[in-house]
This record gives sequence, C-alpha cells and structure tokens, in this order.
Amino acid sequence: MKDEHLRTKRLVYYTEDLGLVDKLLGEFLKLASAKSIYLVDKDGHLVTQKGHSQSINPETISALVAGSFAATKEMARVLGEAEFTVMFHQGKKDHIHISLVSERAITAIVFDDQTTVGMVNLYSKELTAKLGKIFDIASKRAVQKEQIEEDYSDSVKERLDDMFKD
Amino acid sequence: MQINYAKKEVSCKLVYYGPGMSGKTTNLEIIHEKVPNQNKGEMTSIATEGDRTLFFDFLPLDLGKVRGMSTKFQLYTVPGQVYYSSTRKLVLQGADGVIFVADSQAEKLAENIESLKDLEKNLDEYGLKLNEIPLVIQWNKRDLPSAMDVEELDKEVNWPGAATTEAVAAMGDGVLPTLKLAASIILDRLNSKEPGAETKTAKMSPEDKAKKEEVYVASVNADKISRGYFNQYCQAQYRLAAKSDEIDDFKKFSPEDKSKLLESLVNHVLLLQDAKSRNIGASPDEVEAQINAFSKRFNSSGDLDGYLAKRKLSMDNLRNEATKNVIIGKIIKDIIPDVKTKLHVSDSEIAEYYNANVNKFGGKDLEGVKAHVKAGLKNKRKKALLGAFFLKLRENAIIEVYKDKI
Repeated sequence: MKDEHLRTKRLVYYTEDLGLVDKLLGEFLKLASAKSIYLVDKDGHLVTQKGHSQSINPETISALVAGSFAATKEMARVLGEAEFTVMFHQGKKDHIHISLVSERAITAIVFDDQTTVGMVNLYSKELTAKLGKIFDIASKRAVQKEQIEEDYSDSVKERLDDMFKD
Repeated sequence: MQINYAKKEVSCKLVYYGPGMSGKTTNLEIIHEKVPNQNKGEMTSIATEGDRTLFFDFLPLDLGKVRGMSTKFQLYTVPGQVYYSSTRKLVLQGADGVIFVADSQAEKLAENIESLKDLEKNLDEYGLKLNEIPLVIQWNKRDLPSAMDVEELDKEVNWPGAATTEAVAAMGDGVLPTLKLAASIILDRLNSKEPGAETKTAKMSPEDKAKKEEVYVASVNADKISRGYFNQYCQAQYRLAAKSDEIDDFKKFSPEDKSKLLESLVNHVLLLQDAKSRNIGASPDEVEAQINAFSKRFNSSGDLDGYLAKRKLSMDNLRNEATKNVIIGKIIKDIIPDVKTKLHVSDSEIAEYYNANVNKFGGKDLEGVKAHVKAGLKNKRKKALLGAFFLKLRENAIIEVYKDKI
C-alpha cells in the first residue's frame, strides 16, 4: 500500500480506553492537588483533559507542550540520553510539570502552591505507568467497532467551502 | 492524525514548509484573518525579535461538528532558514500533509530546491516519502517582477509531481484555495484508507452480536475478561486440579471460590501482559516440551487421551497451562536471575521442618520423606516469590472486578 506509513501512524483513541484514562486523570488531580492536566499526543494533538485552568487554550498548550518536548528530546540526544522523561517549569503562581507517557503521549500538569512539585512528581510517576499500560494494550488490540461515517470527507470539504466563503 | 472516538473528534496536522521568507507565516496570518471567529483559535508564534520564526507558528482551526465528529485542523509553519533543519524535523512529526510555500522569484530557485530536498530528507527520517505524503506546492509571490513562469518552476522544482497553486499571500490571494486543496487530499485518504473500512458495510454476524452483548467480569489494564471465558477457565482449572478422574460435568462454585478463581485469572492475564511487555513468549517447541514432560506420567499417548477425555479437557486446555508455565519460568528467570539459589532447599532446612512436624509423618524417618519435604518447601518458596511478583504487578495495574457479574 502506497501510504501504509500514514495509515499506521494514525492515532486512534477508543471510547472504552479514554473512559479509563479520564478516570485516572481525575483521581490524579485529587491525589496531587493539581489544577488541571492535559494528555497530549506527541504530534501535538490534545487527547483529553481534566480540571480547570481558565485562560489556558487546550489546543495551544498541547502544541507548545509537544513542541518543547520534542526540542528537549533533541537536547537529550545531543547529551547521549535517549529521552528526558520529565520537564518542569516554575512560574510565580502557576507551574507546569510535563512527563512522557510510553512512547506516544505526554501529560502536562498545571499546579500552584496548593501542592508541591514533589507530590506532583510522585503521583505522576504512578499515573504515567498506568497510562502507558493502557496505551500499550490499546495499541495491540485489533478489533475496532467504531468507525467514521462514509461520506465524512465530502462533508468536511463542504464545510470548508462554507467557511472560506468571502 | 488523531481520531478520538471518545471525544468524537478528528484532528489533522498540516505543516507549511519552504525556504526562508517565502511567506509561510504570512499564509497563516491571512487564514487567521479570513476565517470566522468561531472557527479559529489564537495564533501562536515562537519567533525571534526580528519576527523570524524560530520554532513554529501555530493556528488551530475548528470546523465544528461534521457527521457527528468535531473536526479540527492544526496548522503549523516551520522556520525557513537553512540552519534550523533540526527544528523543522520536529515540527514535521505526525504531519498529515505538507504545504510547500515556494518563492517564485528566479533568484530564489536554488533555495526552493534546497528546501524541498531538506523536506524530503526530514520526511525520510519518519519513514515518509515526498511523493506519498499529501503535498501541495504553492507558487507564491506571483506578483513580483522576477517571478518565473509556473511551467518552468514546475519543471525545475516539482519533481515529486505534487498538486500546485498560485498565490500572492501578502495580498491574501490564493491562500485559502491552497489550504482547501491540501485539506481535500488529506480527507480523500481518510475515508478511502480508514482502517477496517472494508468491514463497514458487512452485516453483523450472530457471533458479533453475541460479542457485543457480552458480559464482563473484570478488566485488567483495559483487557476485558468476559463471563464466558471466566466460566471456561473455572471449569478447566477444576478439572486440571481434580485429585481423581471422578469429576462433575459442570462444577458449581461457591461465591468465595469464584472470587478466588477470578483473582487467579486476573493474575494470569497480568502475567501474560507483563510477558508481552518483556517480549517473552512461549515457542511451540517449548510448549510441546512442557506437554511431553506432563505426558510422561502416562504409559502411552492413549492414556493421556483417556485422561483428557475422562476429565473433559481438551488439548487446548493443556496447551494453555503449558504456555503459562513456560512463560512463568521465563519471567522468573528474568526478574530473579539467581532464582536457582533462592529456591535451593538445604538439608538442614529439611531436617528442621521434619523435626517441627514430626508427628505429621506417621513414624516415617527423615530419609523416607526427604524428597517429599524438599519438593514441598521448594513449592512454598516459589509461591512466595510469585506472590510478591503478582503483588508488584497489581500495584502498577488498573484492575476492575465486577463482582455482581460473576
């Protein structure tokens, strides 16, 4: 197949897996007393989020998190490390903790002084191990019932036409 | 591309590529300007003070719900300058399509070619080919006096044979048609190459229907255990462990026993998952060797068949057990390299156990029960090691047991 790569590289998330993921993220927020958490895939698409941080655009934060993670990965490579698995940025009020989940996703956790970076780090380690497992299993599962409707592409094109009408 | 069925969302990534100053960021700015507010997010730029793109520009577009799926395009640009090749590569990760913004001016021809070659090289690192990825080349700056003829540009630059458009991005001309063309190419592939699309029109078979209505008794890291499978497991375990061949056709278990059996099945599933992540498997030869060792208990293969028949066990049941044993053996070797010494039972330990439990042995002397005691102690130790291992697996696992479904 000509574009086998594109096909296999497609990231698909099914309802049953994300139900479990959402639950874990919610539990994590409670345990770590963090404000919000974003699960982002490495290409920069937001997968899911929990908690509230007003003024944060989830899409923008996802693109930036994935970008800066990719950049630190290059830094790691230069240092001879395979990957830096955790990144932390400290602000005056809010801080962000970013960590790698298996080979495919990243969690970005926003927190303030209600908690500490140690707590966030501790619980996020547990969390990423569990999420990694879910993705691992999901990626090996072949059966999939959920589908995109057949005329989806044409409908999107019509929508684009409408949107770009001058 | 991300297809998120839980959130009913499709998200595509489109990257604007091309030499420095060819107009990539301008393309994004025009889109940002022209797209209605409800369809766009904020435009983010990681740029130098001189407004040259340093890492990328980012503009999310939201097309709203289409056929039940909320549809998004994430537009990125890369920095054009030659020395930013490594950052360009990072932005390309996971791109569903590329818009190559070429500068039509004759003096920029070499830069266009160099940049397209750079794209080819960077795509190659992700295992993608220039003529395979959805690609649109935009001949930009058509209004400038030194702009080359489109036919000429096509001959010199467009070796991948990509679709092309003409634009004067700074004036807003040709920007949206380019985006639309790229989006269409990506979308055309989406429907035609949807994994499993061939089964879409197939009618649901009765087995599928049954599967859909399946009841689950537990889920282990998102692997679900169906009630049907659990029941089979219970019967097989009972038949394998039965002390004699006198077995019930269908053994009924107490709720406590069922709970215990489910625990052991969960352990079994955890073990297989862990083995997978360690790349441990059991080869057919290894499984056969296990079965052969087991069948040595019988004088002939006919006896083994008889045993299985009497216990209503199938060869598959036996094979499952053998596979499990092979894998357990390998994992133990993997996690406890010095397992032999750890499992070694010394003579003094045997003697100690004998002396403490001497009345259990009905007057038999130490020598007479030594082998028996040794095997027992070794088994106990093995169980403790396995128990600790399962405990650790469970700590890191997400296990849900639906007691009411047992």
